[in-house]
Amino acid sequence: MNNYAWLIKREFWENRAIWVIPSVIGVLLILGALFGRVQFTNLHTPQQSEVVGGVVLSIFGIAFFVVMSIYSTWYLLDCLYADRKDRSVLFWKSLPISDTTTVLSKLLVAMIVIPLVYFVAADATTLLIAFIISVRASAALGGAMWHADLWLQLQILWLYTIITYAIWFLPVAAWLMVISAWAKRAVMLWSILPPLALYLGERLFFGTHFVANQIADRLLGYGPRAFHTGTDSSFWMTTTFDNDQITTPSSIWALLDPGTFFSSPQTWIGAAVGAALVVGAIQLRLRRTEI
Amino acid sequence: MPALIEARDLTKKYGSFVALDRANFTIQTGRIVGLIGPNGAGKTSALRAILGLTAYEGQLHVLGREPFRDRARLMNDACFIADVAVMPSWLRVDQAIDFVAGVHPRFRRDRALGLLAKTQITGSRRIRELSKGMKTQVHLALTMAIDARLLVLDEPTLGLDILARRGFYDALVDDYMDESRTILITTHQVEEVENLLTDVMFIDKGHIVLDCSVEEIATRYAAVTVTADHIDAARAEKPFYERRTLGKTILYFERPGSEALARFGEMHTPSVSDLFVAKLSGGVQ
Repeated sequence: MNNYAWLIKREFWENRAIWVIPSVIGVLLILGALFGRVQFTNLHTPQQSEVVGGVVLSIFGIAFFVVMSIYSTWYLLDCLYADRKDRSVLFWKSLPISDTTTVLSKLLVAMIVIPLVYFVAADATTLLIAFIISVRASAALGGAMWHADLWLQLQILWLYTIITYAIWFLPVAAWLMVISAWAKRAVMLWSILPPLALYLGERLFFGTHFVANQIADRLLGYGPRAFHTGTDSSFWMTTTFDNDQITTPSSIWALLDPGTFFSSPQTWIGAAVGAALVVGAIQLRLRRTEI
Repeated sequence: MPALIEARDLTKKYGSFVALDRANFTIQTGRIVGLIGPNGAGKTSALRAILGLTAYEGQLHVLGREPFRDRARLMNDACFIADVAVMPSWLRVDQAIDFVAGVHPRFRRDRALGLLAKTQITGSRRIRELSKGMKTQVHLALTMAIDARLLVLDEPTLGLDILARRGFYDALVDDYMDESRTILITTHQVEEVENLLTDVMFIDKGHIVLDCSVEEIATRYAAVTVTADHIDAARAEKPFYERRTLGKTILYFERPGSEALARFGEMHTPSVSDLFVAKLSGGVQ
């Protein structure tokens, strides 16, 4: 375990963007709250206030999460490639740390550590912003930001998302690591070419779309499996403001759908494929020392 | 006691190119072995195999382990410096020390700090800010602070000036080396290391062409500076290499009957570098 702690620390030293990017986003959002227009006058009922609070906090969360996904993708493509490119892989391999430990530590950083950093950054930012809005804005909007229940739900939403996201996207992450451990150059291009070639080949020779459907489902199917997208009216809640209506899920609890996620075969088939690709990345790391 | 390194039919192929062709060699504890060969001879492939950095065919045991399968544990007892500066550029010197101290059970921080104190390098510097020579000094300080049983050095002093190179080799022999350790070293600067080697291995085209101790060279090889009137008689004794320099002709003989050769001219034991040139230049010129 000790080696994992050092390897994770090492990733923070090498990739300062892990904490710099969420910090910058946080600072920008806080500056926006400090100097932007934060009046929202037509809040009259507790429901209106809670819905607006929930929407504002969710938008912050989503902003952090989207940036996190983009950064993690880049990190995964780079993590086994960078030290082959600058040949420092020979220095790392001169230490008594197995390639399995190295690869798993980088996977852990991408799928768990980086999301947790963004989670903490998002929480700290929203806390500060809620405080700023309370001071600057009308009492109603200020009050909208402080619902203990809402905050608790957001924490659960983050943790649920981190776990399910890591499981669902394991095959994608592991694929990126395989390319990162294997490619001599152009990791981005290589990560896209083989699936594209498979898709085109299948379409050309068999006229079917199995590969394309699998890839599309992996990239787009996370939301529908991990979250309720229910059409029944009990799931949705419409709040009327003076001239507008906002439709939101009735609560964040209602949004989570662990039952569908964990019972979906796609979840576990994907995880198995991901595990196999991780083994592949380790084998490549063992053998590929140079570009 | 089993040998520290034992290779049987060690073979490494890259596609159709055979970098190591059934090489056999044994390295005993307590020796300083020079692995010497021209570029592309298979030196790096041999070192990579010994360090577990590459898969290979044949049998290889280093410190009783199979290197490729067991690299991580092998690195508890073995350490190496590869041919060029390979320290990660983003790493700070103090981070490097912390990291190695954290993951290496045999790393002695005080020793590394002592070695660095003799240089101009401070802990807050990043590797990328250091000159090539300084990078090498950091790497050497980290490596020599590890109480390893096997130290592998692949062109360790590349980029160092002559003072630093001399200092490095002095420290290696005086402070680092003892009878429990073994050093395997490759370098192009054969002259620089030949005085500290106890054994030499010549490698050419994937084959080990010479494997002996430095003392054995004297009993196995002789170089004779032959005077002009004896040249034909001396050539009849089948020298394996002939070299003309400054108007003198030097003939190299294997397993010399020393008295018989002395009559052709002044006889001496060839230096490692001369023997290397003689063995690898291939035949009488």
